[in-house]
Amino acid sequence: MQGIAVPISVVPGNSPIHRINPIPKMVWVLGILVISFITRNPVILGGVFLLGLLFVTIAQIWPSYLRVVMVLFPISLTLILLQSIAPAFPQPWTPIVAVGPFTIWQEGIYSGLSLLLRIMCMTTFAMVMIMTSHPSDIFASMQKVGLPYTMNFILTMTLQLIPILQSEFNTVLKAQKSRGLKGTGFAAILPSMVPVFVGAIERVQQLSISLESRAFGSSGQKTSYRQVQFGFKDALVLAAGALFSGAMTYWLLVDKTLDWSRTLTFSPAFALILFFGAGIGFLLFIAFALRLVLTA
Amino acid sequence: MAKGKPVIEFKDVSFGYAAASDREFAIENINLTIYEGEYVALLGLNGAGKTTLQLCINGVIPNSIMGEFSGEFSVYGQDTEVTSVREMAKLVGMVFDNPEFQLSQMSVAEEIALGMENIGFSFEEMNRIIPEVLKIVGLSGLEERSPFALSGGQQQRLSIASALAMRPKILVMDEPTSNVDPIGKEEIFAVAAKLNKEENMTIVMAEHEVEVMAAYADRVIVMDEGKIVLNGTPKEVFSETALFERLGLRTPQVTELSAKLAKKGTRKFSKGYPVTLDEAVSSLR
Amino acid sequence: MSAKPIVQVENVTHVYSRGNVTALDDVSVTINRGEIVGLIGQNGSGKTTLVKHLNSLLKPTKGRVLIDGEDTEKQSVQAMSAKVGYVYQNPNHQLFARTVQDELEFGPRNLKVDEAEIEARREEAIEFFGLEEMRDLHPYRIGFPLRKLVGMASIFTMRPDIFILDEPTTGQDNITTQRVYKLIHRLRENGHTVICVAHDMILLAEVVDRLLVMRDAHLIADDTPRKVFAMREVMESTHLAPPQITQLSLNLKKGKVVLSVDEMLKELKS
Ligand SMILES: Nc1ncnc2c1ncn2[C@@H]1O[C@H](COP(=O)(O)OP(=O)(O)O)[C@@H](O)[C@H]1O
Ligand SMILES: Nc1ncnc2c1ncn2[C@@H]1O[C@H](COP(=O)(O)OP(=O)(O)O)[C@@H](O)[C@H]1O
Ligand SMILES: [Mg+2]
Ligand SMILES: [Mg+2]
Repeated sequence: MQGIAVPISVVPGNSPIHRINPIPKMVWVLGILVISFITRNPVILGGVFLLGLLFVTIAQIWPSYLRVVMVLFPISLTLILLQSIAPAFPQPWTPIVAVGPFTIWQEGIYSGLSLLLRIMCMTTFAMVMIMTSHPSDIFASMQKVGLPYTMNFILTMTLQLIPILQSEFNTVLKAQKSRGLKGTGFAAILPSMVPVFVGAIERVQQLSISLESRAFGSSGQKTSYRQVQFGFKDALVLAAGALFSGAMTYWLLVDKTLDWSRTLTFSPAFALILFFGAGIGFLLFIAFALRLVLTA
Repeated sequence: MAKGKPVIEFKDVSFGYAAASDREFAIENINLTIYEGEYVALLGLNGAGKTTLQLCINGVIPNSIMGEFSGEFSVYGQDTEVTSVREMAKLVGMVFDNPEFQLSQMSVAEEIALGMENIGFSFEEMNRIIPEVLKIVGLSGLEERSPFALSGGQQQRLSIASALAMRPKILVMDEPTSNVDPIGKEEIFAVAAKLNKEENMTIVMAEHEVEVMAAYADRVIVMDEGKIVLNGTPKEVFSETALFERLGLRTPQVTELSAKLAKKGTRKFSKGYPVTLDEAVSSLR
Repeated sequence: MSAKPIVQVENVTHVYSRGNVTALDDVSVTINRGEIVGLIGQNGSGKTTLVKHLNSLLKPTKGRVLIDGEDTEKQSVQAMSAKVGYVYQNPNHQLFARTVQDELEFGPRNLKVDEAEIEARREEAIEFFGLEEMRDLHPYRIGFPLRKLVGMASIFTMRPDIFILDEPTTGQDNITTQRVYKLIHRLRENGHTVICVAHDMILLAEVVDRLLVMRDAHLIADDTPRKVFAMREVMESTHLAPPQITQLSLNLKKGKVVLSVDEMLKELKS
C-alpha cells in the first residue's frame, strides 16, 4: 500500500521560497486559483504553468513535485477524453473527426486542454506552497489571520494520523495473514479496515481525555508557540502576488479577444493523437495502480 | 513521614457511566483524603475502578464523561464541578497508559507547548519551560523530533513533560509503564520518584508492579469492584496477604515468602512482613 | 521429550530496507519440539524480527530458517499458519470476525478441520479461557485484557505445533496473567513448542525451560533461566532484573538462584 501513498508535505530546504512566510504564498495560490478559473486561454494558462515550474525550480522540489504530478496527470487525462467527446461548453459545437460512435469536437479539445492546464496551474502553485512551508507554520499563520484554534489542531492531528493509520493498516494485514486469512486485493483489505477503524476511534477517545487534561477546550486567551515572522520581504511577496493576480484578473475580464474558443482550430490528426494518447496514458496508469494494490 | 495539608478529598463519591457497563457504579462510596507530597499507589484488577477514580481528580469526571455522579469532591479546596478546565490543568497533570494515544503534534517541543498555549503562556515562558521540563524527564535535545519517532518509554516521558509544563501540583499516572520495556519502566519510575522527592509533588499512580510500588509509595490503596478495600502504608497493606490472594492480586514476592514462613511457624516477624528487597535481606539474614 | 529440532535458525541476518537497519546479525538458534522458550531483550533488540521469521512474515536477508525441516523461503504466511501460531501483542491487529465464537472457528475452518472437531475445539477454548459470557459479543465490545485472551484462544483452536506469544502479560492484571501461565502449562502438556517474547520475569522464571537474550541484533545468552539470571553482565547490560525472589536468594545465599517463592521456602527450611 505504501507505494501508492504520495507524501505531500514539506520538503526540507532553505531556498528563498522556503524562507517566505506562508501567508504571502497562500495569497499567490489564491490569486492563481482565481486566474485559472476566469480564463480558458491555453497560452495564458500555459504561461502561468511555466511560471509555476520556475518556482518549483527555485524551491528545488522537483523530485517530490514530480511524484505528485505522476499521480495527478494521468487522472487529469480522463478530462481530455471526456471533454473531447462531451464538451462542457455552450452549443453549438464544431465536429472535427469521428471515432466509432463518438464525435470529437473542436470545443471539446479546447475545453479539455484548458481544464488540464487549469489543474496543473493550481496544483503546481499549491505544491510550491505546501512543499516549502512547515505545516505547523501554515496552521499557525492561518490561526493568526482567523482560523480557529480547534481547526488548527484538527488539521495538525489529521496530518499526523494519516501515516500512522497507514502503518497500522499494514500491520493488521500481516497479522490477519498470520491467522491464515487468505485472499488478495479487496477481499484481504476489507477485514483489515475494521481494526484500523476501531483503533482510530479508541485513539481519538483517549486523546481527547488527554487533551482535556491539558486544558484543551478551555475558554479564554490562547497563545501560539510557533512564531512565524512576517518581514518586509514577505510583505513584498504578498504585494507582488496580489498585484499580479489583480492585474491579470482585470485584463482577462476586460479583454474579450482572449477568448479563443471559436478561433483556435485543431486538425483531425492532432485531435486523434491527443484522444488516443490520453486514453493509453490513462489505461497504463490504471494497470500500474492495480498492480500495486493487488501485490500489497 | 510528615503529612502535608489535605489536597485531594473524596467524600462519599460514587460514579456510574452512562454507557452500558457490567455494574451500576464504576466507583462506589469512595472516602479518601490524599495529602500534599504523598506518593500514593493504586492497586486493583482490571475493572476495579482505578481509572475512574483518577479521572475524578482532574474533573474529567463528571464534567466531560456522561454518568451519574454523587458525593463531594475537591482538589486544593476547589470543587471540580465548577472549576474551569484551565484552572484544573494547572493543578493536576495526567499521564495515561498508552503513550502513543496521548500525542498529536509534529514535534516534541510543540507537544509540550500545546497545554501551555491553551492556558495562555507567553512565547518567552514557553521557551524557558520547554527545555526545563525536557531536562527533568531526560529528553533534552529532542525538541525537534517527531513524537511518533520516539521509543515507548521516551513517549511516556514526553507525556509527563507535557503535563509538567503546566506546573501542576499533583501528577496522576494511570499504569504509565504498562506499555514500555524494562529500561522505559525504570526511567518512568525514576522520574516520578524524583518529582515526588525534589519538588514535593503529590503522585497518584495506578500500577500492577507491586514490588516497585512497595519501594516508592508512601501509601497503597487497593480497590475491588469500585470500592476501596485497603488503604495504608505499604507495610500495613501488603501484610494482608490472605486478602490479596482472595482478590486475585499479588503482593511483593518477599512479602508472600515471609507470610508463608510465618504461617509455617518457621519465622516470626515482630516488625511486620518485609515489603522491599532490602527489608527482606536484613530481616531474613 | 524427543530432542527433535522443530525450529532451526541458521546464520540469519535481517536488514530492513527502510532505514537500512540490521535487526538480526548472524543469529543461529535451534529449538526442539516441546521446548518452552522465553525470548527477552530491550525494545529494538530484534525479538519481533526474529519470531516473524518463523512464520514467514519476514524472510532472511542472509542465512535460512527451517521449520520442521522445511525452508520458510518458499512458504507463504498463510501456509505457515497451520504450523506456527503467532499471537500478536495487540489483539486489535489480529481479530476480524463478528463474534468471539466466529473468531475461534475461523482458524480451524480455514485449515479444513471437520465441523465436529471445530465445535469441540471451540467449546474447549471457551471453557479454558473463560469466555462463556461473551461468546456472542463482537470482539471489540469486550475490554482490552479479555480481548487479548480472545486473541490467544483464536490461535489455540488452530493447534499449531509452534506457539509464539508476543508479550502475553504486558499491561495485564494478575488474574489474566495467571490465565497465561495456565495456557503455557497446558501447551507444554500437549507437547506444543512455545516461544514467549516477554519482559515479565516472574512469568519467565516460572514457566520457561530456556531463555534467549537478545541485545543489538545479537543473541547474547541461551540457557536455563537459572543460569541466565546469574549472568551479571548479561542482565545488567540489558537492564533486565530477575524476579525479586531471585534477587533475594542471590543476596542471602551467595549466588544461589531460586526461581519461585515456593522454591525459596524449601531453600530456607533446609
Ligand atoms: N467509558 C466507559 N463506559 C462505560 N463503562 C466504563 C467505562 N470505563 C470504565 N467502565 C467500567 O467501569 C468499571 C471501572 O473501570 P475502570 O475505572 O476503567 O477500572 P480500572 O482502571 O481499575 O481497570 C468497569 O466495570 C468498567 O467496565
Ligand atoms: N518494519 C521495519 N522497518 C524498518 N526498521 C524496523 C522495522 N521493524 C523493526 N525495525 C527496526 O529493527 C530493530 C529491531 O526491531 P524489533 O525486532 O521490533 O525489536 P524488538 O521486538 O526486540 O523490540 C529496531 O531497530 C527497529 O527500529
Ligand atoms: Mg484503568
Ligand atoms: Mg517487539
